[in-house]
Amino acid sequence: MKKLPILLLISTLTLTLSSCNKEVANTKIELIQSKLINKTWYLDYTITGSVTKTFLGQSTYFISFFKDGSTKDSDGLTGIFSVVNNNGQYELVVSTKTNNGNNFNYTHLIESVGDVKMIQSYTAAGQTVKTILYFTSK
Amino acid sequence: MNKFKNTLMPRTKKSDLLKSYNRLAIILMLIGINITMLSAQDFTTKQKDSAFLRNPNKEKTEKIKKSFAKAFKDFVGNDLYLLGTLDLSKQNINDNGITNPLNYLYNSVNSNSFKPGYSAGFRIDGVYKEKLSYSLIFGVNRITTGNNYLNKYNTAPFIEDFTHFKADNKFTTLSIAAHFKKLLPISDRKKYKFYAVAGPSFDYKISKIGNDNLVDGSSNRALINADLGAEFNNNGYYILFAHYKLGTNLFNSAVPVQLNRFEIGMTIKAKDLF
Repeated sequence: MKKLPILLLISTLTLTLSSCNKEVANTKIELIQSKLINKTWYLDYTITGSVTKTFLGQSTYFISFFKDGSTKDSDGLTGIFSVVNNNGQYELVVSTKTNNGNNFNYTHLIESVGDVKMIQSYTAAGQTVKTILYFTSK
Repeated sequence: MNKFKNTLMPRTKKSDLLKSYNRLAIILMLIGINITMLSAQDFTTKQKDSAFLRNPNKEKTEKIKKSFAKAFKDFVGNDLYLLGTLDLSKQNINDNGITNPLNYLYNSVNSNSFKPGYSAGFRIDGVYKEKLSYSLIFGVNRITTGNNYLNKYNTAPFIEDFTHFKADNKFTTLSIAAHFKKLLPISDRKKYKFYAVAGPSFDYKISKIGNDNLVDGSSNRALINADLGAEFNNNGYYILFAHYKLGTNLFNSAVPVQLNRFEIGMTIKAKDLF
């Protein structure tokens, strides 16, 4: 009986300290989503192979992501988005409809995302060269 | 003569006996008055019970007190002080172990400087085995730190330097420290005492950890510190002190953090305040 309070104290301490690790679960996806949402991302550059295009100071493509999981871009595509973990790589999955009502879905790899800068990449169907997209949020 | 003797002795005995009877009567009267006064008080049933029955809680407390007194019999001359400090803090962050697609622009998160915070608490100063002076410090610390990121990354050509991790730069900890004090041969030691102090301390973050801090298991609430410092004791009335604390994560983390803190503070004897 004397050992009971000591055991209780040890178990409380262990639970408190080990609970730190539970805070980690699913944080990364939530964090990536939190960086994306409630912002409009403007395309500044694209790099395909050795070809670099700049759109700075020009009318450029932009896309917005919202807290409710919806998205809208400058081409008039509206739909939903999600971030998924594909073997340790984080992908942006977008399902939209065109103005004509046709489905348009795509998946881009999130290379890097922050409060201000985002890099996405994709390899178009039938091609081997990767296209990298550089966005800035405003 | 013998006759006279025989008649005198019983008389004196009688008067002595009468005197003692009177005294006894007075004492009995006083006791009687006391009893009536005591019985006139209104005791609750609970009070009556606790007066006559065994009180297991009371006994347990007494037992704990006794065992504490026995265990800490070598810790003598304990004085309780209240303390307040001003802190300057900076943390060095090594995010080498982080592999995630997050970027934080280096220039917006890095501030290689010390930032001010504050602490409050109490400490117990005493002497162990009449040789070793010590102080046990318990505190709540509101820490604001400058963040020095040791690694920079970039994805040329369009994104400037960034880090993969953003550390919390404001947090609250509960701390406990055990310092050993060495009296220095400076000044008039009967009045003023200068000490060099050293010892370990432990901090536990109690504030909410930010989401940016939770990726890749980088969150670590427990910090262990090595403390060094100097103290000035003015005749036991108050103590002025300056401590340097070098801390690191107690458990393995993907982002080892080295927390540097300078504390300048004052303690006042609790007895003098209350």
